[in-house]
Amino acid sequence: MLFLVAAGLQLVFGVQKILNLACGSFYALGAYAGVSAVRWALGAGLPAPLFFPVLLGAGLILALLGPVVERLLRPIYDRDESFQLLLTFALVLMFEDVIRFFWGTAPHQLGNVYLTYGRLRVGGLTVPTYNLVVIACGAAIAAGMGWFLSRTRFGRVLRATAENREMAEAMAIDMTRVYARVFTLGMALGTVGGALVIPATAAVNEMGIELIVEAFAVVVIGGLGSMRGAFVGALIVGVVKAVAIATWPEVEMLAIYVIVIAVLVLRPTGLFARAIA
Amino acid sequence: MRLTRRRFLKLSGAGVVATALPLDAAPARAQSGPVRLGILAAKAGVLAPVGESGLRGVQFATDRINAAGGILGRKLELIVEEESSPKDTVERFRKLALSDKVDAVSGAISTGVGLALGPAAEEMKTIWLAWDATTQKGVEESMPKPKYSFRSTDNECEAVMASLLTARHWKGKFKTVAGINPDYSYGRDNWAAFLAIMKKHGIELQVVSELWPKLGATDFTSHVATLAQAKPDLVFSCFWAGDTPIFMKQAHAAGLTKSTKFVLTTGGGVHESLKKDFTPEGAILGYNCFYFENPKASALAKEFTRWHQEKFKEWPNYESDHGYFTVVALKAAVERAAKAGGGRWPSQDAIIQALEGVEAESLSGPRRYREDHIMEATFFQGLTTHRNRYDFVTVDPLESMSTKQIQKPSGVGLYDWINGWKV
Repeated sequence: MLFLVAAGLQLVFGVQKILNLACGSFYALGAYAGVSAVRWALGAGLPAPLFFPVLLGAGLILALLGPVVERLLRPIYDRDESFQLLLTFALVLMFEDVIRFFWGTAPHQLGNVYLTYGRLRVGGLTVPTYNLVVIACGAAIAAGMGWFLSRTRFGRVLRATAENREMAEAMAIDMTRVYARVFTLGMALGTVGGALVIPATAAVNEMGIELIVEAFAVVVIGGLGSMRGAFVGALIVGVVKAVAIATWPEVEMLAIYVIVIAVLVLRPTGLFARAIA
Repeated sequence: MRLTRRRFLKLSGAGVVATALPLDAAPARAQSGPVRLGILAAKAGVLAPVGESGLRGVQFATDRINAAGGILGRKLELIVEEESSPKDTVERFRKLALSDKVDAVSGAISTGVGLALGPAAEEMKTIWLAWDATTQKGVEESMPKPKYSFRSTDNECEAVMASLLTARHWKGKFKTVAGINPDYSYGRDNWAAFLAIMKKHGIELQVVSELWPKLGATDFTSHVATLAQAKPDLVFSCFWAGDTPIFMKQAHAAGLTKSTKFVLTTGGGVHESLKKDFTPEGAILGYNCFYFENPKASALAKEFTRWHQEKFKEWPNYESDHGYFTVVALKAAVERAAKAGGGRWPSQDAIIQALEGVEAESLSGPRRYREDHIMEATFFQGLTTHRNRYDFVTVDPLESMSTKQIQKPSGVGLYDWINGWKV
């Protein structure tokens, strides 16, 4: 999940050079939309095992708002990063209010669809099958993104833009359209991530902000703008957290930031810092 | 505008007068027109649902009071501001006191905010009636003898009650325990209180895991995996927000709810999200001071529950009751002071004096402020059941305890008090 959001952040940064704090809000929006969509679908008589495509669909449809949000961000493309952080943080606050307006402040969740696919026993531990489905889905998206960026025409355009925007523009690439599309793609990664996580958790107002912090840790570790970095960074953060909780719970948060600091000191560009690779 | 020497002198003179004024005089308050009550309600983040709930209770009280002619004939008017970080909330408290010239301020939930508001209330000489935000540690450390602050019940009450119920129901039936509590004063204090009470009751236990997720965390899969490895007989948690259903859901998915006993001291704050699908029967669940389906509920409580359900499509929780009580207690104190003072609108000092020991009918029955400005109320907990008409768990039978039993008395340390119990 973290990977999806971090990947969205990376993509947008890599191509548009925008640090988008609002990626956390996309995640929260995706979660809330996922809850509503599945509730509606189950209410309309959809068999429970089909909730997964509904969640995916909810995330993707929500991402259609991407071009609208992107339009809001356009004035700050060429300004200082601090303006970008301010504006996208303002978006975070606004989206939080939008969520409160439509869904209220109480936590929202989907009762037991989480266990629709049953549980598996893995090495003495009971794991809901859904977790494995999500992991598989995340891996598939990672592979899909890799293929898309390296093999398709649009992927090549994106990488070219990330490398050298002026040159790409000189090659008659319409930047306005590229930006709108790439932003929408980044947003879709966030909303789908939020929608997929919801069966295992509950949608709460603060989930967006909660995630941004971790996504930034992932990005710092992996290197800003790198897809592979997002993947490895998310893995590192996830594993370190789990190990810390199992062995020494007091240092759960600390452990991640120790790694962040180590990366910043030893390899300030991050482990995989290059343009979208 | 050019700053001439004369103008500079004038300005600085005015500044000196302005800063000197609040030092020896409380802000002037109106003696007629509406009574102005400032509200500090959280609207964002983890605290938002609780802030919202408190505000609903205040609104319900205000509507009723105004419909019945107000306080001594003066209508009650609310000026709602937001509770956020301690620093910003203190700023808003100042604004309410100085610019809105409120008669009193009601609100605040976060312990951190409460610790900052206490001194601010004393400095601004403005009555502050807290909804929550009360830890006895904080009271001891920063405000031994407050004049203007009236605090809530202690944070630790629900842990004390849940621990007493644990001892009563499960003594001898568990050995290994694990705690998963939010990593701030509330979580730490409640866990420590639980362990102290277990020891006092002669229950020998082995702590197999102590987990401290950050307040507001939304993923507990790693914590649950650790708990599954540690295999505790009993899990103690004072989660009170959206973290409660998330944790229970993930614990259930990992098979933890089958045989483990759960003590959820404060989960009743989000009771509607504790679905039967993943919340087991027979867990100890605390509702703080208000249980929406209390079979012995007063007509007032029933009316409130109905109003709340019709208006918000939700069953109410405890914070509404805290909010409600602060308003009716203020009204009762004003009337008490006026009676003593010959029917005129009382001075602020007279109101404060009348608030000490004042008793008023809250949504959960009679409540009062102790002479040391701490609330006295009744707490509700019980063992969860699935036998009800909802899709979430309720408790049956409902058990209640007064803060006379589960809250430390004035002037004693929390752990000294627990250690002094006769068990």
